Amino acid sequence: MAAAEPLIRVENLVKHFVVRLGAFGEVGATVHALDDVNFDIMEGETLSLVGESGCGKSTTGFTLLNLHKATSGKVMFEGENIVSLDEKRMRPYRRQLQIVFQDPYSTLNPRMTVGEAVGEPILFHRLATKVELPERVARLLGDVGLPARFASRYPHELSGGQRQRVAIARALACEPKFIVCDEAISALDVSIQAQIINLLLDLQQKYRLTYLFIAHDLAVVRHISDRVGVMYLGRLAELATREQLFSNPLHPYTRALLSAVPEADPIIEKTRRRQILTGDVPSPLDPPAGCRFHTRCPIAMDVCRRVVPEWRDVGAGHHVACHAVGAVAPG
Amino acid sequence: MSMQPSVQPMTVPLVDDEPPVSLWRDAWHRLLRNRLAVAGLVIVVLLAFVAVFGPWLTPYDFLSQDLNARNQLPSLAHLFGTDDLGRDVLSRVIYGTRTAFVVAVVVTAVAVVIGVTLGAMAGFFGGWFDRIVMWLTDMTMSVPNLLLVVVINASLKGPAMAWMEARYLETLNPFYRETVWVDFLLVFGSMALISWPPYARLVRAQVLSIRGRPYVTAARALGLTNRLILTRYVVPNALGPLIVSVSAGLGTAMVLESAFSFLGVGVNPPTPSWGNMISDGLRVWQHYPHLLAAPAAVLGLATAAFSFLGDGLNDALNPKGSK
Repeated sequence: MAAAEPLIRVENLVKHFVVRLGAFGEVGATVHALDDVNFDIMEGETLSLVGESGCGKSTTGFTLLNLHKATSGKVMFEGENIVSLDEKRMRPYRRQLQIVFQDPYSTLNPRMTVGEAVGEPILFHRLATKVELPERVARLLGDVGLPARFASRYPHELSGGQRQRVAIARALACEPKFIVCDEAISALDVSIQAQIINLLLDLQQKYRLTYLFIAHDLAVVRHISDRVGVMYLGRLAELATREQLFSNPLHPYTRALLSAVPEADPIIEKTRRRQILTGDVPSPLDPPAGCRFHTRCPIAMDVCRRVVPEWRDVGAGHHVACHAVGAVAPG
Repeated sequence: MSMQPSVQPMTVPLVDDEPPVSLWRDAWHRLLRNRLAVAGLVIVVLLAFVAVFGPWLTPYDFLSQDLNARNQLPSLAHLFGTDDLGRDVLSRVIYGTRTAFVVAVVVTAVAVVIGVTLGAMAGFFGGWFDRIVMWLTDMTMSVPNLLLVVVINASLKGPAMAWMEARYLETLNPFYRETVWVDFLLVFGSMALISWPPYARLVRAQVLSIRGRPYVTAARALGLTNRLILTRYVVPNALGPLIVSVSAGLGTAMVLESAFSFLGVGVNPPTPSWGNMISDGLRVWQHYPHLLAAPAAVLGLATAAFSFLGDGLNDALNPKGSK
């Protein structure tokens, strides 16, 4: 993995939202949604991003796809920094970089039939002619496990799981290389979640897709990921292979997060040691200086309050941003 | 696993032979199930028919006076009776319907065109344009409607009439003797001026809300152009509330026109308008109640019909909000 060129390289990506407060918008404030984020996505892998709500996982996905304008930093894809492109020059890349959203009830245009929704990107990007279209749509619907007759249906006639399948078919219609799954299963029933996950894994095999899987459910992440990144308050805390991250978490935040996952076995669950974090996540309007986690970190040192910890590789692609790592226990 | 309850439990089992139902068709079926709305729709269609085919329906000329038959109570010859000049009230009510519809349709059309254009642009582009449009709507809406219309009429009617008179004397073109055009222009103009801000606000709010919907983001992620996103995603989804608002607005415009004519700042006699007929009838209602009752009843009927239809459309087009 080390030698291969990544499909997507994210370099020092920053996204700040400027908000106007006060009755006349006279007070400007900056939401530090994403600060200095670095990671690579390898072709064919599933990279997951986990973290609490509001930590910047989804912003990463949106900014990476140039749906939010990046404040600074680069996203390299096929030798082009795509976040610097305007909408027109971005268009050919849009086809290759797709996204599936969280809420299947609002990501489909209620006035378009399933067939129109799935066919639209095909015609728009000229991937098939009008004559070939019905067959192409039927095949895509088949790929996501829906019968072809669904093409004439409207979204409100479908269940949540069915709609999410349509959304996936629509993303697939572009023949993409890369799909951001932005909490793509979080809004679904547990039984449906499993189906959609398996569908995503099957499609990955079939079309050699690369996923950025944004989630907050560690059990799911553990099931499907090749590598996992942990985010806290707009920064990456740790990034490692699934095995490394779950067996040898280095960042104190990762450890706290993992200790919160309940065990299925009641005997182990009883003896499970949980590390409870105190306090709330600080506001991204005014993030703490130094390490952003120091206000809640059980092992915070003086340096953590002053210096932003460096994002470094502690071996075999295991990245972490923590002053205590290395000083205490090298990976 | 943390689970959000946003998935609705109803999973519609799809039956093969059931035809697909678009939201528009669905709304139409819902509207037809609403009896009041259907009643409203029928009355509106009837009144529209009367307005369009009025000249072929009137039993008498609405202007011809029969001084031997003044202030007659309703009879077989004059179903709604006659007024103080012996004119047939039914014919005048029918022509009043024409006036009401012309004013309502033209005023609403002008107001919708102005409001939708400005509102959609304000919502889509934001920034200074948005601020100017919102400032204009606030300003217009802060002036009492009646006051604005009276001021416009009082200040422009004199000069406009004088201009028409001067043009007539200059050219002897009979067109310039038809002062009814000045009436209509002032009525249309001033009513459109006070009617567009609510449409602008509605459309702006719709565009703002739809612009942030996930399906618009999804369309952007597909790389679709702004034009496609506007025409296929934003506009069709913004149409529902606008249709409701237009239906209610037509009724409101009729009431406004009657109110202005009643006060003498709208369509002037001899052109019949429900408002000036009510105004005339009110003076003699103790002796000739039919002169007041006929136009008032028709106005009430029309208002109720548009209001029922608007309510029904609202329930049909926004089924989530109404239940």
